[in-house]
Amino acid sequence: MPLSGRPHMVERGVLRGLRDGGGLLSLLSVVALLSLWEGAARAGWIHEAFFPRPTVVGAQFAALVREGVLGEHLSVTLGRLFWSFLVATLPGVALGLVLGVWRTAREVVDPLVAFVYPIPSVLFLPLAAIVLGRGEAARVATAAVTSFLLVVINTTAGVRQLDRGLLEAAMHYGAVGWRLFTKVLLPGSLPWIFTGLRLALGLTLIVVIAVEMVGAETGLGAWLWLSWQTLRVRDMYAGLLVIAALGLTVTYGLEAVRQRLVPWQRGLEREL
Amino acid sequence: MQETLRRTPRPEEVEPTVAPPKVVVRNLQVTYPAGRRQVTALQDFSLEVRAGEFCCIVGPSGCGKSTFLRVLAGLVPYNAGQVEIRREDTARPLTAMVFQEHALLPWRTVLDNVAFGPENRGIPRAERYRHAREILTKMGLSGFEHAYPHQLSGGMKQRVGIARALANDPEVLLMDEPFAALDAQTRNLMQEELLRIWAQFSKTVIYVTHAIEEAVLLGDRVVVMTARPGRVKAVVPVGLERPRTLEQKGSAQFAALYNEIWHLLREEVDAALREAAYG
Repeated sequence: MPLSGRPHMVERGVLRGLRDGGGLLSLLSVVALLSLWEGAARAGWIHEAFFPRPTVVGAQFAALVREGVLGEHLSVTLGRLFWSFLVATLPGVALGLVLGVWRTAREVVDPLVAFVYPIPSVLFLPLAAIVLGRGEAARVATAAVTSFLLVVINTTAGVRQLDRGLLEAAMHYGAVGWRLFTKVLLPGSLPWIFTGLRLALGLTLIVVIAVEMVGAETGLGAWLWLSWQTLRVRDMYAGLLVIAALGLTVTYGLEAVRQRLVPWQRGLEREL
Repeated sequence: MQETLRRTPRPEEVEPTVAPPKVVVRNLQVTYPAGRRQVTALQDFSLEVRAGEFCCIVGPSGCGKSTFLRVLAGLVPYNAGQVEIRREDTARPLTAMVFQEHALLPWRTVLDNVAFGPENRGIPRAERYRHAREILTKMGLSGFEHAYPHQLSGGMKQRVGIARALANDPEVLLMDEPFAALDAQTRNLMQEELLRIWAQFSKTVIYVTHAIEEAVLLGDRVVVMTARPGRVKAVVPVGLERPRTLEQKGSAQFAALYNEIWHLLREEVDAALREAAYG
């Protein structure tokens, strides 16, 4: 009896850890890192020209926000992120659903996806510029390519994992043709689609910043690159801070949308 | 007096209590590919089910009883024979199936699951919800309209599965071992519940099960199938009085029926086991 009880207790402990681990401890680790940094800089252990103290960066950040400079770059980046994400996800979900149920199309498209997916996204910028001209369209397209593939891959997987009996039942009750897509395949694969969207959102932000570093005059990436080039290290860190905050915000925003749209999903996240 | 006796009797005078046939199946044959071989699931399967009848089908595992239901549901094609379901109303679907694993859409609430069939048939929202709520109330499910399937117990899920089928108002209700996955007590309760609902809705039901006891308790007739390829081996009329209750399981009549069917089934189960062992 005591022996059989133990694995269960261990399991419970692990599960409780999964549930509680998020809040205070995470905040503490961030605070600890920043304090260490601050202390090391004050003590002169690290070079302040390259690693300015968090308090100094904070002050610079506040000044830039007051001037409105960071806000301008942020809004440009945000616009690019929005359009790239949209261009990646809407067709990505649609194609993923079709591939999920259409074997022939899957066999045609799969190798192409595998071929294009590993190419670093920024490398599409020259190609996109040739096709679309050197402007916003090329930047948006470049940032959308790999994210589009991520959404396609996840959506297809979402459809493929749907229970066969469930599909059969849905079709028996009249969900055929277009209705099968909108009422069964799409809602049924939403949990997987959202995994794809989350990965795609992070990646889109990364590529937007990268594209701005090499091929734009405005935006947080451009700001970051220019600050580095002119050795305005504090400005660079302030830019990093905004990018990190942006990533955090959009990810949590998407998570909130997911919880609205997928209230039926059960699993660890709901119960633990 | 003599005159009336000489006259040819009309069919309903011969068997005055028998309703017209609702489902007529003749010499049905179903084969499907399994690897490189073709497996014959059903061969020369013939059956008539009368309107309003509760017809139970028992048979050994793999005899094709579920396949038969799926043919009726239009989910599986058949190779030869005739299958006819007589319609009363062209606006109503021919069949609605209650699946063994409930097969409710997990992203839909109870209400939206029950209204799913009518929704796909283009019934306006207000009307299909009103109808669905009505059925949920009759099924003792009111208060659970906005629950999701994962929040319900097994028995409740299957109730919703039955409500979904009834909401589609089919000519024939098909049930594929709907209570097989439930625990014994819940199964008993659900059987009583089903008897009650069936009396209310007066549907033609074809009910597949491997539990003889369940077949005798529920059915007007019990169809015993042979091992694969499935044919009708015997049809046993169940003369038990209605309304039926679980208490009837204790009666001598019930035991006699049980034994009769078990006797018929036993050789087929043995045959199915041999088939499984030696292929």
